[in-house]
Amino acid sequence: MTGEVAIRVKDVSHQFGEEGDARHVVALRHTSLDIARGELLCLIGPSGCGKSTLLNVIGGLMTPTTGTVEVSGKPVRGPMPHDIAFVFQENALFPWNTVIENVNLGMTFQGVPRAEREARAKRSLEAVGLKDFAQHYPAQLSGGMRQRAALARALSLETGILLMDEPFGALDEQTRMILGEDLSVLLSRTDKTIVFVTHSLGEATFLADRVAVFSARPGTIKEIIKVDEPHPRKPDFVTSQKFTTIRNELYRLLHDEIRKTMAETGMGVAHSASEDARERADGSAL
Amino acid sequence: MKASDRKTEKPLASRAVQVTFLVALVVLWYLATTRWRVSPLLLPNPVLVWDNFWDIIRTGEFLSDLRVTLTELAIAFAISSTSGVIVGYLISRTQYRIRVFEPLFSAIYSVPIILFLPLYVLFFGLGPASKIALGATISFFPIALSTIAGFGYVDKVLVTAARSMGASDYQLFRYVLMPAALPIILTGMRMGFTVALLSIIGSETIASLAGLGHRIVHLAEGMEMARMFAYIVFVVFIAATLNMLVSALETRGKRHG
Amino acid sequence: MISTTTRIRQALRRPWIARIGVIVLLFCFWEIAARWWIDPMFLSPPSRVFMSLQQVFDTRGVPAALRITFWELAVAFVLSVVIGLVIGLAVGLQPFARRSFMPIILLLYGTPQVTILPLFILYFGIGPASKIAFGVSHGFFPIIVTVVAGVQNVKPILLTSARSMGASRWQMLRHVIFPHMIPSFFAGMRLGMTGVLLGVLLAELYVSTAGIGYFTTLFTQNFDPTRLLGLVAVLAAMAIVLNEVVRRAEVHFGRWHTD
Repeated sequence: MTGEVAIRVKDVSHQFGEEGDARHVVALRHTSLDIARGELLCLIGPSGCGKSTLLNVIGGLMTPTTGTVEVSGKPVRGPMPHDIAFVFQENALFPWNTVIENVNLGMTFQGVPRAEREARAKRSLEAVGLKDFAQHYPAQLSGGMRQRAALARALSLETGILLMDEPFGALDEQTRMILGEDLSVLLSRTDKTIVFVTHSLGEATFLADRVAVFSARPGTIKEIIKVDEPHPRKPDFVTSQKFTTIRNELYRLLHDEIRKTMAETGMGVAHSASEDARERADGSAL
Repeated sequence: MKASDRKTEKPLASRAVQVTFLVALVVLWYLATTRWRVSPLLLPNPVLVWDNFWDIIRTGEFLSDLRVTLTELAIAFAISSTSGVIVGYLISRTQYRIRVFEPLFSAIYSVPIILFLPLYVLFFGLGPASKIALGATISFFPIALSTIAGFGYVDKVLVTAARSMGASDYQLFRYVLMPAALPIILTGMRMGFTVALLSIIGSETIASLAGLGHRIVHLAEGMEMARMFAYIVFVVFIAATLNMLVSALETRGKRHG
Repeated sequence: MISTTTRIRQALRRPWIARIGVIVLLFCFWEIAARWWIDPMFLSPPSRVFMSLQQVFDTRGVPAALRITFWELAVAFVLSVVIGLVIGLAVGLQPFARRSFMPIILLLYGTPQVTILPLFILYFGIGPASKIAFGVSHGFFPIIVTVVAGVQNVKPILLTSARSMGASRWQMLRHVIFPHMIPSFFAGMRLGMTGVLLGVLLAELYVSTAGIGYFTTLFTQNFDPTRLLGLVAVLAAMAIVLNEVVRRAEVHFGRWHTD
């Protein structure tokens, strides 16, 4: 991790719809952030707090209502396929293509010359452990393997920055753990800058060099927590005291925001104030 | 421009295109027959068609043919819906029967059954009987198939839950199977109705002595273009109305059932 | 020692055997009814129909008529596919065109076209042209509708993903939208084939000088149920084969489709 700034987010706000519209939503409010080259930054927060919006803004898929984003010193005005690659939560593999065809197609879009594609595809499939599944169709793969393939496609583009929007969100916990460990190993071998959106406290603590905690909507960064532990992180990091402390800190920061969001959306069982106070003092029930 | 404005102006624009398109068509039609010397044997003057249309309505000339067609339709549909539902229900009772008969019905239905019209005409003659028979045959299949689907694929969980609460066979049928199957059966009946109407008009066109289809053929053979066009409009109108009625009944049946 | 009834019952346990059994039973019923109950002027037993099949083919003009009818079907199908694909793409890819013209197309699709069959004959004559035209008129609507749907229903995430990787508009069309549309297109072709069969055969039955309709009318008027049944059976077989071909193509090309 060098001290160089890879991504600079300057006072970004974003709203959907116009003021007075029934569907007016302020997704993001005055958010500023510097992301260093080679670091893995997690964005975590309650539903609708704008973390995915911020990711899309950084990646040039959305133009913010106000504010700017600079990537490697260049202002972001649209998708930058040579600098930024995405991995989405939803399966974005083209179902009519095999894994390797998917990877090749990504490079076709970016403009990689045909001669280079084969080597890059091989490398990226090996990096995610899918070398033997190159000829399979997405429908024949498990959820975890599909996301590996999506990651391989993103890696083959050889961008400096990887933006991942809850990539493991649809997977079961065990698969998440394995993929998280593998991602950590990958990170130790390259100097990619990764911005990773997640809902999972454990995942954020395990993967991130820094965690940006978002407030409820309209979202802004409430606090940034540092996780001082070198990559690749060992599985036993999860059971260490350092991990638990950080995770608890994240929980403390997030809990109120989550309750706030649920109250707004009508979810969650209604609590009386005295019950709330009791739970907070007790700490154990939750 | 505000975002809300941008959203509302588009539907108006596409509406405008549709209306313009249709108006232009009518205008072209009129010009073709009056200014551009298109033969009235090919394309009648729209004004004449209009006059003929109202003449048909006013004099009630359409009544006899309409009565024939509607009677054929009613009888055919009555036969196909009762037999279709009963047969479909009986088949749906066991998995085995479903697996034997459902593919059979699907396969038969995939053939254009109108092909058998000459056979029916040979057997029943040119009168209404052949139309009714063919209409009933064709519309039997979608009704039977949807009845099988409706009763045969009721969620097992619902049946188990009802049985565990002590439901009798009759109660199971009335309160679980019927309501579950009804929407699917109603859709099948709507399809059967549509298909029966089409096949009856079709068979009237090809081989008949009466009915709306026959009337159009009769006028075509007499080269009475304006009146034929008027009848075509009339039949399309009747078909559209009937289909709308049946769709509305289907929706209502689904909501209350 | 297993008794025959038990063996039969065991065999019947397999649905496809039971199905054949049902068909055989129906044929037996037909055979009995045609031989003993019904006037031979109106119905022939299947045995006689089968024996006389060769006669049907020997009737002068029948093989040629079958060839012509098959040709009408083929041409109508190809035309339906081409026209349907072109219009479908034109309407589906341009949102404004779709909003404007789809309602009109759907309206036309829903009208009982059989009412204008006499018009088609008047305009295109009594030869193959009218049969082809009527077939196309039935066949291209489902293709338009399915192509439009296939183009419209691309998951937005796929387009976003392609955009994020730097795909140009043309690349998105060629590598994302077009392959996505293929299964729908083949489903549309299956429906289109059904439509073409209906249209061409309806027109043939209405009036025909060289096609198969001529002979169905002839056999009907001559009260020749044997040959009529034979002919209809051959046509039904043709229809089944054509339908099956398109259905298999649909299954093959729609392999990845998880709808």
